[in-house]
Amino acid sequence: MFDEKDVILEAKHITRKFPASGGRTLTACSDVSLKLYKGKTLGLVGESGCGKSTFMRFLVSLDTPTEGEIFFHGKNITQLKGEELRQNRQYIQMVFQDPSASFNPKMKIRDIICEPLMNFKRIKASEKDAVARKFLEMVDLPGEFADRYPHNMSGGQRQRVAIARAIALEPEIIVMDEATCALDVSVQKTIIELVVGLQKQKNISIGFIAHDLGLIQSFAHQIAVMYLGTIVEVLPGEEISTSAMHPYTQALLGAVFDLNMDFSKKIESIESEAPSPLDVPPGCPFQNRCDRCMEICREKRPALIDVAKGHQVACHLYT
Amino acid sequence: MAMLELKDVTISYKNVPAVQNVNLSLEEGEICSIVGESGSGKTTVIRAVLGLLAGGGKVTKGDILFDGETLLTRSGEEWRKLRGTKISMIFQDSGAMMNPTRKIGDCFVEYIRTHENISKKDAWEKGVKMLENMRLPNGDNVMRSYPFQLSGGMRQRVGIAMGMTYQPKLLLADEPTSALDVTTQAQIIRQFMELREEYGTSIIMVTHNLGVAAYMSDYIVVMKDGIIEDEGTRDYILKGTRKEYTKTLLDAVPSLGGVRYV
Ligand SMILES: Nc1ncnc2c1ncn2[C@@H]1O[C@H](COP(=O)(O)OP(=O)(O)OP(=O)(O)O)[C@@H](O)[C@H]1O
Ligand SMILES: Nc1ncnc2c1ncn2[C@@H]1O[C@H](COP(=O)(O)OP(=O)(O)OP(=O)(O)O)[C@@H](O)[C@H]1O
Ligand SMILES: [Mg+2]
Ligand SMILES: [Mg+2]
Repeated sequence: MFDEKDVILEAKHITRKFPASGGRTLTACSDVSLKLYKGKTLGLVGESGCGKSTFMRFLVSLDTPTEGEIFFHGKNITQLKGEELRQNRQYIQMVFQDPSASFNPKMKIRDIICEPLMNFKRIKASEKDAVARKFLEMVDLPGEFADRYPHNMSGGQRQRVAIARAIALEPEIIVMDEATCALDVSVQKTIIELVVGLQKQKNISIGFIAHDLGLIQSFAHQIAVMYLGTIVEVLPGEEISTSAMHPYTQALLGAVFDLNMDFSKKIESIESEAPSPLDVPPGCPFQNRCDRCMEICREKRPALIDVAKGHQVACHLYT
Repeated sequence: MAMLELKDVTISYKNVPAVQNVNLSLEEGEICSIVGESGSGKTTVIRAVLGLLAGGGKVTKGDILFDGETLLTRSGEEWRKLRGTKISMIFQDSGAMMNPTRKIGDCFVEYIRTHENISKKDAWEKGVKMLENMRLPNGDNVMRSYPFQLSGGMRQRVGIAMGMTYQPKLLLADEPTSALDVTTQAQIIRQFMELREEYGTSIIMVTHNLGVAAYMSDYIVVMKDGIIEDEGTRDYILKGTRKEYTKTLLDAVPSLGGVRYV
């Protein structure tokens, strides 16, 4: 299913360090390598604060990695500047985690949706109204919302405006950072069907960050699991609930609230202290929370190795 | 007597009703979840309870009672005493509400010191402890950060920490865990339950996660188009409802090993 000639974007050994208080260094991403394939969806899951958004922001050139390179159609995009950078934006669009923060509060929804289209001269000013309405309706919002301001809408309505704006440009890659988490499950389903439909029609690649494992397995071709800045497992989307091998991935699966769960069950939780990107231990990043931790896990960082077709794990249990 | 009671409440933005004829009553120590359509008025309802409607929103009909007394005619001074300690709120999008130019610690210390007469140093330590309870590593570093230096879920947990600092009698939580991964979510949910067990806190929780709603709640309310479309116990909502909309929602819940679109 994943043919090397279909790789549209490849991130190689991406590391991002931030200066932190007290002269310390925070490592948000550590040696991350991932590929996006044409017409396929890569799902990215992992603990809050593990570096998912930091990584995805590199794809849209909003930040530059401390180390590593990202190739889009074979061209390194981490060093783009000026007009080249601007042009590249139309091929890779991102829906941000915090949509309200990315809107100009003084602009009407019509202008918000049409801004990128106008910037790249894809439409004329006279077409704005019709275009805005068309895209609003695609994301299940009334066309009249074109006349509203972002603050006069609910959280989930704003989120859908952000999605409408990103798909309007028909980019080759769409990065969606928790782009459906404020939607009710029924609208969410509509949006996923819409996005998957567009993907099939136009062969779009999608990078999708989410916390809902059930959602991500419903349409991701490939899922990468991140923990404390590193990729600990990559596996085919449909296999997440059956073949996950990394103890962290298994812990995630065990913490899902499900309609068929036993509601009298006490909530299990990982008792140990939350890990910090300020003091990443040598060895495996998951060691202090892993109930199968061994001697070697405290000494040596496990490498990501192939365990099956399309399935890689970084864990000493499998080496 | 119910701790909180909404009686036939209608709420409008600039005279256009967004929520109509809502009735809801909550006893001490009870947990109620509001689920439902995006844009149906969930945030509007709980913001009305806290007297913090945005964009010219107003309760145009009905009454909201807390411990038997109306909340609708409270003065600014009375609200300052209630908010944070008796009634507190965790906002949807806590991150976007933070002042981008101020460090978390400055805001948190100020928040603590408006509710409690303690030194800056003690307030700082209290803040760090609350943050670490929310599973944020290095609470001290988080306090020294600007909002943009934190991840979305970390900002959300700062909001949760503030909302829970004073063990309020009533906690209004607007999608508190939708930005969190499932293991962190499980820990936060556990803390909500502990708050209820230890302090008898009543909670209204808005969520899109029906699994979370079912796990936590004594009572579930389903909203659609500005009205309460369906309501009842977990068993009724999950197994007994006849309402088409509730069934549509239940059917749309993504589940592991469920439908695939590709
Ligand atoms: N501009 C910045 N300056 C300093 N630290 C930052 C900055 N941006 C992110 N970080 C830190 O990098 C780490 C990773 O953040 P990131 O936003 O990538 O997490 P995430 O995986 O997207 O989490 P969430 O699921 O909560 O959104 C966090 O510890 C965060 O505090
Ligand atoms: N400030 C405002 N001015 C005008 N209309 C508003 C305002 N805030 C919200 N609305 C409208 O009121 C309705 C209810 O909004 P509310 O934010 O309560 O919905 P919600 O149920 O919380 O939705 P979501 O799940 O998407 O957050 C929506 O149709 C919204 O567009
Ligand atoms: Mg993020
Ligand atoms: Mg809302």
